[in-house]
Amino acid sequence: MKMCTRQICFILAVYTAVTKVILYPTLLALQSGRDLLFSALIDFLVVGVIVWAVSFLCSKTDKTLFKLIEDNVGNICARIVYGVFAAFFMLATIVPLFEQKSYTHAIFYDTVQSLIVFIPFFFFAIYASSKGFKNIGRCADICLPLFIVSMLFIFIMSVGEIKPNSFLPMLKTPLDKVFFGSLSTLHCFVEPCWLLMFMGHFKYKKGDSAKITLSYAAGAAVTLFTLFVFYGIYGDTAMSRHFAISKISLFFPAIEMLGRMDLLALYILEAVMLFALVLNVQLAVHCIEKCTGYDNSAVLSLAVNGVLLALLVVFESKFHSILDVYRQWMWIVFAVFAIVMPVLVWLFPRRKKR
Amino acid sequence: MIKKLSVFVYWAIIVILLGLFFTNDFGLVDIRKSSIIVAVGIDKEDDEVQVTAQLAVPQPSENGDSVQYTQVQGSGYTIADALNEINAKTGFYPQLLFCKLVLIGEECKEEELFKLLSCFYRRNFSELTALVAMCQGKASDMLALSSSINSETTESIKQVLSDELKKSANVSSVNLKEIAQSNFSVSKVCYMPYIEANKPGTSAPGGGDSVGGEQGGSSGGGQGGGQQGSSSGGGQGGQSGQQGGGQGGSSGGSASGQQSGEEMEFTARKTAYFSEGKFKGFLNSEQSFALDVINNDIRLAVLPFVSDGEHYTLGLKNTKGAIKLKVKDGVPELTFTFKAKAQIQGVKKSVTPENSSNDDVVPSQVLKSAEEEMQKRFADLLKVSAESNCDILKVRELLHKYNHKYYDAFSEDILSRVKVNYKIDIRSVN
Repeated sequence: MKMCTRQICFILAVYTAVTKVILYPTLLALQSGRDLLFSALIDFLVVGVIVWAVSFLCSKTDKTLFKLIEDNVGNICARIVYGVFAAFFMLATIVPLFEQKSYTHAIFYDTVQSLIVFIPFFFFAIYASSKGFKNIGRCADICLPLFIVSMLFIFIMSVGEIKPNSFLPMLKTPLDKVFFGSLSTLHCFVEPCWLLMFMGHFKYKKGDSAKITLSYAAGAAVTLFTLFVFYGIYGDTAMSRHFAISKISLFFPAIEMLGRMDLLALYILEAVMLFALVLNVQLAVHCIEKCTGYDNSAVLSLAVNGVLLALLVVFESKFHSILDVYRQWMWIVFAVFAIVMPVLVWLFPRRKKR
Repeated sequence: MIKKLSVFVYWAIIVILLGLFFTNDFGLVDIRKSSIIVAVGIDKEDDEVQVTAQLAVPQPSENGDSVQYTQVQGSGYTIADALNEINAKTGFYPQLLFCKLVLIGEECKEEELFKLLSCFYRRNFSELTALVAMCQGKASDMLALSSSINSETTESIKQVLSDELKKSANVSSVNLKEIAQSNFSVSKVCYMPYIEANKPGTSAPGGGDSVGGEQGGSSGGGQGGGQQGSSSGGGQGGQSGQQGGGQGGSSGGSASGQQSGEEMEFTARKTAYFSEGKFKGFLNSEQSFALDVINNDIRLAVLPFVSDGEHYTLGLKNTKGAIKLKVKDGVPELTFTFKAKAQIQGVKKSVTPENSSNDDVVPSQVLKSAEEEMQKRFADLLKVSAESNCDILKVRELLHKYNHKYYDAFSEDILSRVKVNYKIDIRSVN
């Protein structure tokens, strides 16, 4: 087995949270206003159930998703499904990639930024994506302590500025706006697809599905707390504050005297964000590998990252248009892959685990 | 073969990164060849905005003084235009991430506040932590004054807006975030301190800080420039007088200080308030005090008042001020609550060891007078709010948040129809 349950738990706890702390809070504030927590809660509950379902499915079979499909529908079909999943993972990388580029430019560079300062990310991505599941698991081991330290640091600096009455009156936002808030940010929820890919790559033990689901709940709790802090600090002006995680600690009194010491935590968190971002690319490479049967992952990694780089260059100034498309329409695709597909996998007959 | 190839790849990466570094594609800036905007003053000039930027110019540390400050002006239709002009003069990318003070000249009163300040709220242009204040006269003149408190004017002004002073109810300091939150709430109101420059040892211009000025106007004992809350002053009778007087005196004060190079002291005891971004008026120091004890977390406030013909100055500790809105039997009721522990800090009569030893035990009559003084200040603040239909106390926000079902019914005229209760409890420290 290439991974262990602990590493999967870490991935779900850490990556779930770090992929939702840059633009996600702003997008939710824009759509749902002071009821953003309810919009987020809807998504987390639905996706949480799917995460539990997929992790429970792992207790019923020790096959990988590819093998499960292959055994039931045939090799060609499995290859097609993996091809589609590869496209999906690349699709799921686009917004976080642009988001990360804007974030690093805005936070770490005071002067005119150029695209080229973000290019070194692809060196890392090409290397990481050519590695397999073992590498993904080890990255998660590294990321957990970094994540805990940096988030604690940022939260401690932020909580003093929260005004809980910013959320009042509760549930007065029209329900359709709250629900659309959930849908329009569904593109941030890919966790069940990660789990589908991890199927068969770790040894399931009794109680693991509870551990995995609770880890996801922990990631959700951190995200909800980030939303609480962000909106509690900025209130009705939150929708105009981008890059939430870098904005919430600004009002800590010591920053006035010592300077932006929160940047230390943000630098650490940035490392975790990069590992989380590259996970989708790693899974895309894995899917193409299975789909094509071509097992030179270095070449595939180069190709996938080349495509992503090309997209980044071509659409560099079109991020807002891309984001609009994702918010308005792409939730359908993400609902299919992150919610419907995992449910469909349950329909396959499963051979009992030995 | 693969090992050899990987070595080649790593060397290639290092060469590429070094290439990027030496062609400055990482956008690195030599800090010694740049300047950083630490404060901006905004003035109105015809149709244009005039921005005065106080720049910190880092110096080689061998000179002993690591930072030099200088002022550069730019103008344009927006602050961004003006900053672009400043950029052209200084050679620095015009971001305001290090700007910690935004000073708005009095002439900008006619302008819509958030039209004027919109630049600061644009994405990534500045953080919203900068303090905002209105100043008498022109902001450029104010920034050009020399200060007796600190060699750097910006620092001197920031001192009178400091968190410590805020915690003594002496200034209603706010930052860009707070005024935006306040203005874009249902109350559509915001306020900011009004900064005056006084000659040291005087309360001029505008009659600043004479103790008890409001009550008698002549009870003197002038504590000009006293920043630790030893006075409640504002020796101008009434609100309208302050508005006119403040402006009139301001220009003179600024100009004279600048011309003579005389060092000035800054105070921020008054508060400018705005409704829907439009300037509405000034709160005097008593009204500002009442607003501060409600909105801020106060550690030690100083309350001067007259009891039985004697002038007392009480130190108020453990203060808790708040307003609550409830709707009872279809009638909105606003309750001012204020609790504090009092200690005598000063009485305008000669002191003896016998009577000063009991300063912790405040006579009940004095406490009652203190309570009446607080009630008067709250009532005065509410009156200003109702008369100007400017929801300074954010009563509409309370209605919206805590009594939402009545919001549509009462929001229009709540300031005039609200029933007011006072629960003021000032006790002796011992």
